[in-house]
Amino acid sequence: MPALFFPRRYPPLLRVAALILLSLAVAAFSEKHPGLENWSGNLAYPVHWIDMQVADNWRALHQYLQDRNELLLQNKRLREKIKVMQPQLLENEILHNENRQLLALLDSFPRPPGEMATTQVIAENFSPGSQLITVNLGSINGVKVGQPVLAAGGVAGQVIHVAQRSAQIALISDLDSSIPAQLADTNMPLLVNGTGHINILSVPFQSRNTALKVGDHLVTSGLGGRFPPGLQIGTIADVVHNGDEPFAQISVRPSVSLGQLNTVLILLKNPPPVQHGKS
Amino acid sequence: MTTVAMLIAFFLALVLETIPSGPVYGMVHPDFVAMLLIYWSLRSGSELSYTLVWLIGLLQDLVMGDVPGGQAIAGVLMIYALMNGLGKVRHLSVWEQLIFIFVLLLLHRLIVWLWQLWSGSVSWHFSLLLSPLIGALLWPLFTGLLDTLRHHLKTSS
Repeated sequence: MPALFFPRRYPPLLRVAALILLSLAVAAFSEKHPGLENWSGNLAYPVHWIDMQVADNWRALHQYLQDRNELLLQNKRLREKIKVMQPQLLENEILHNENRQLLALLDSFPRPPGEMATTQVIAENFSPGSQLITVNLGSINGVKVGQPVLAAGGVAGQVIHVAQRSAQIALISDLDSSIPAQLADTNMPLLVNGTGHINILSVPFQSRNTALKVGDHLVTSGLGGRFPPGLQIGTIADVVHNGDEPFAQISVRPSVSLGQLNTVLILLKNPPPVQHGKS
Repeated sequence: MTTVAMLIAFFLALVLETIPSGPVYGMVHPDFVAMLLIYWSLRSGSELSYTLVWLIGLLQDLVMGDVPGGQAIAGVLMIYALMNGLGKVRHLSVWEQLIFIFVLLLLHRLIVWLWQLWSGSVSWHFSLLLSPLIGALLWPLFTGLLDTLRHHLKTSS
């Protein structure tokens, strides 16, 4: 094996120490220049490309191997679901029309839906604390850092790094994630933080006599302008009032099953906020 | 020739690390790259280049999307410990190696964890111990497979 950079004549301890210092320098440098980190994501693309091929084939094989009974059961389940959903859809349409009328009364126009891009999950990195996924769209598809990511059920996360053909997404369960939220039926501003564990989110800074209770639905509030308002985040699963703690501990179950994401939507263009009145 | 084969093996190990297969796999899968590093330094007669170990770690950081440097430091320190403190591992039988492998993988995992603690946010979870344990238990199978492969490569070339 060739001894790159550090010739063998230096003692091992010195070489190890030099490499540790180099690591710290690399980390500090990439922190200062996020562009470098986005660029270096391209180096990882060959690995992610193979990931994508393997995952695709695995999914195809899984579908192929599903036996007849399972498919029949699934079919039955989906039929039942349609029976429940159809009246809801009708109700939805009525509400939608009513909403348009009300918005017209307020002299504002219904929001156009933002521009979305469908993308496939090609790699995952789930460790305690960080929950990252990589998708197969990048800067050449118009993906930018900070764009919200949706999945079936609601909000999934947001874009944190963008390479040319891939982008990395921090899920809402990531320890660094925090999104402005509100209760589905009130305007009370809240935050929903990730806990580092998939399928558990938390609501910080709520006093012990908080009005929040188990079963409440949380949606995005749209404050800050990063996430459009009204998207499902999750349902409150547990409220603990611990005697010694200054705040109530509130855990939230995300409405998206974050562990089983195959396809996600990236919101490329955030719709402009609703303008009330004439501007 | 074997160097090329090892580099391909590292590439495949990186694929195994990031393959999308759910949160449970993500939490408990053994660190294949670290296991391959140990295997390589045990089998290659001379000392493995620390710089190469570092570069492989850096690539792993890029692939995983962590703050670059963590896996690199962990890899270098793990190989240093293997070379100096635990140098006798090479002469032990595969089964006796298990405990050493566990200690090394645990060391690697904890260094990565400390790095994440320093550079961002991370929480403690029991899977931090589970992953090295599974790695150590898979070690006999892992070395057996790679030894067979190496034997085939040597006889065919």
